[in-house]
Amino acid sequence: MMAVFDILLVGMLIWIAVGSLNENRLFKSVVMFIVFGLFMAIAWIRLGSPDVALAEAAIGAGVTGALMLDAVGHLRKRDTPYPAESGPMENADD
Amino acid sequence: MSNYLVYVAGGALLYALGTYGLLARRHLIHKVISANFMGSGVFLLLIGLGNRAEGGPDPVPQAMVLTGIVVTVALTALGLAIAKRYYTATGLTNLDDEPSGGEGR
Repeated sequence: MMAVFDILLVGMLIWIAVGSLNENRLFKSVVMFIVFGLFMAIAWIRLGSPDVALAEAAIGAGVTGALMLDAVGHLRKRDTPYPAESGPMENADD
Repeated sequence: MSNYLVYVAGGALLYALGTYGLLARRHLIHKVISANFMGSGVFLLLIGLGNRAEGGPDPVPQAMVLTGIVVTVALTALGLAIAKRYYTATGLTNLDDEPSGGEGR
């Protein structure tokens, strides 16, 4: 009975990873990565290590997801190509 | 824990998937996500192999993986900060010479 659960959980992890890597839209990819972190926490609990599960749920899903969403928002701020005549690092303080 | 091999095989498969994404995806954030998948595969393999003995898991790989998760977060933060500065300096989101079409919308 638990073997079915294990196979299902690992298959879910692989499926979410494939979906996150085959996704062209960045936001969807990052959200699938966060969901992957939560499923990873379930896998750690199944493997008998609850402290690693807590660290994964707090850090792996929470902090990393927030960092990636921040980076996606930063990369979306400018849609036009960068003007070549202005020097680099002109808005380095934002 | 008798079916630890499922998790070991899943970790190896996740490492392979992360390697594929790191090499095949062009967008920098996709590369960072793929590196995170590689790390998760290694952690699954370690803790899965730590569960071979009957009578509870081995605590030593758990401590290693707990340290590794923290190191992975620091590495991800560094990579994303470098990607943001790279975008500020050049306006590109990949390592090619032209903006990528179709990715990152």
